[in-house]
Amino acid sequence: MNTTDNRFKRSQELFARAAEVIPWGIYGHASPVASLPGAFPYYAERAKGCQYWDVDGNEYIDYLCGYGPMILGHQHPEVEEAAARQQRDALCLNHPGPVMVELAEKLVSLVEFSAWAVFGKNGSDMTAWAMQVAREHTKRRKILKVSESYHGIAPAWTPGHGGLIEEDRVHIHDFDWNDLESFETCLKQHRGDVAAVIMTPFHHPAFKASQMPAPGFWQHIEAACRKEGIVLILDDIRAGFRLNLHGSHKVFGFEPDLICFCKALANGHALSATLGRKELRVAASKVFLTGSFWNSAPAMAASMACLNIMEREDVVTVLRHRGDALMNGLIALGQKHGYEMVATGPPALPFPVFVQDPDLRRQQRFCGEVTRRGALFHPHHNWFLSMAHEASHINATLAMADEAFALMKREGV
Amino acid sequence: MSRAAPNPAVLSRLYLDAVLPCLEDLAAQDPNARAIMGNTRASIALSILGGPKAVVSFDRGRIACSATSNDMPSLNLLFYTQGHLNAFFAGAKWALPLPIWGGWRIDLMIRFAKLAARLEAVLNGHAEVLATPEGRRLYARLSLIAAGLGLAPLAQGDAEAIRTLRTLPPGLAAFRIEGEPNSTVWFDYGANQHASGWSTPPRRPDVSIVFGSLGLAYAAMRDEADTMAAIGAGEMTIEGLIPLADGLNVVMERLRIYLQPAVTK
Repeated sequence: MNTTDNRFKRSQELFARAAEVIPWGIYGHASPVASLPGAFPYYAERAKGCQYWDVDGNEYIDYLCGYGPMILGHQHPEVEEAAARQQRDALCLNHPGPVMVELAEKLVSLVEFSAWAVFGKNGSDMTAWAMQVAREHTKRRKILKVSESYHGIAPAWTPGHGGLIEEDRVHIHDFDWNDLESFETCLKQHRGDVAAVIMTPFHHPAFKASQMPAPGFWQHIEAACRKEGIVLILDDIRAGFRLNLHGSHKVFGFEPDLICFCKALANGHALSATLGRKELRVAASKVFLTGSFWNSAPAMAASMACLNIMEREDVVTVLRHRGDALMNGLIALGQKHGYEMVATGPPALPFPVFVQDPDLRRQQRFCGEVTRRGALFHPHHNWFLSMAHEASHINATLAMADEAFALMKREGV
Repeated sequence: MSRAAPNPAVLSRLYLDAVLPCLEDLAAQDPNARAIMGNTRASIALSILGGPKAVVSFDRGRIACSATSNDMPSLNLLFYTQGHLNAFFAGAKWALPLPIWGGWRIDLMIRFAKLAARLEAVLNGHAEVLATPEGRRLYARLSLIAAGLGLAPLAQGDAEAIRTLRTLPPGLAAFRIEGEPNSTVWFDYGANQHASGWSTPPRRPDVSIVFGSLGLAYAAMRDEADTMAAIGAGEMTIEGLIPLADGLNVVMERLRIYLQPAVTK
């Protein structure tokens, strides 16, 4: 950390130890490389509601929500009680528990087009498996995806660079978001051999503004898939349950063949799921699926509780309103100080960006200053709202943003 | 981890535009190189028939490299093809160039051959070079300069690099080693053309990559550093347009593929 103050002393000490024994020190999306070294904490200790505390005792209003999972807020009592109750009976057995059946039934009842569900632990488990199911079902090889999209860490599409060989991506082909000509060109090039199109409901590339689907975009993709017998996979891992409790496709007026969930499925407990159409059931039964902890019941019990609460409390509407309040407030404050910001992405997963900021320095400085004041704003990754963010938290955050804008203005950033 | 075969045209541009210019810093930093040059005042042109060329000028202990020169070179060396030049730089004894002017400057040719050997020893990290702190410093500086200057030839002709660059935002990236004067090397990735240089960048870089110490730069150039951990620890900074730096790092990896044959010869 290149900070001169003492706010992150313990984080620094831990990182120094980590760097000795862990590649990257902290790897993956939580790596300091992806955020703001010196302005972000590295290690966290505890959390409650929409707030958390780093290892140095600094307090933050959390706009990352664990990068998505904490849809109801940290340590939600009903969810935690359900998980704890299940864990008191058993943590990891030789067999699945009854809750697995209940959860599959619950999810299939929520997602209209689906007839079956399977479970894993991470989003990557599900997207990689869904790709295989599509290939098994169609007996084809090619997978089409959107450039710069994220579907996990499988060699087919990891954003990392190391350890890959050309053959890993021989059958993976990119087209551009909201560009039907690009999609059609890609489709034409591989016609007859395309097993699946995999997409997120909206486009949320790292380091860039999010993009919503243009009118008719999804419908065109859906129609092409139907016509060509291609499996349409909706990667709803990041957005799932924040846009619509029945799957994000409901918002945009189309229906996929497979849908992958993770993050918000169990409010922080490790669980992912893929749901599919009846027609893909046989293919799904032929693609092997397992993992050391995949039958563990507490996360499934947590998910049952989480889903029930989300239904009961109309989480989608609440998050939309709170996200709108935050985005509208930030944009107005920006204008007040002479900065033009634009809200990108849906309100529940917002990502505001500066209009004139080609080198990202303004974004980085703004997010760093607000984070320093106590609300964690990631400069390069979309944010997440939770049920625990109340009007008072949004107002406190806006006050911090006001100070940050004022400072930037004074310093000519 | 691309194993796509090197493009001979790119390799020859790398030798002319990225490796040869390292002679400038070698002369500035290395007493051994200066001793080889002595008080020589002369210039050598290396050109490929119908293709690019480079002019290396010696002036009493200083070296300057350029793509052209208005003055008649003291020694004019011609290579018939890119492959001919590449083989020469890779050390093939059969690949001597045709001296079309100044063939009688045997002394100059000998000095140049010795300088080239010294440069090769440094850039390839020969054991005797890396045995001393000064040698490791030279290795780190020259490797960074070659890597930075090499970005433009790669961007212009290496299919793998071009594929990577297409995914990157345009911008100017500057690399330097903290505490090392004249160590800034930059690459300007534009929509239609690219440029690189070893000098003060022509404008404020969109992303600045700073190795916090010579030791870290050395380890990074040797592919022996966990640079991600170094960034977290504040030993290295990447400030600004991070995706550009990330992508250029991948492009620089291609340099190892191109210049590795010389190492393993």
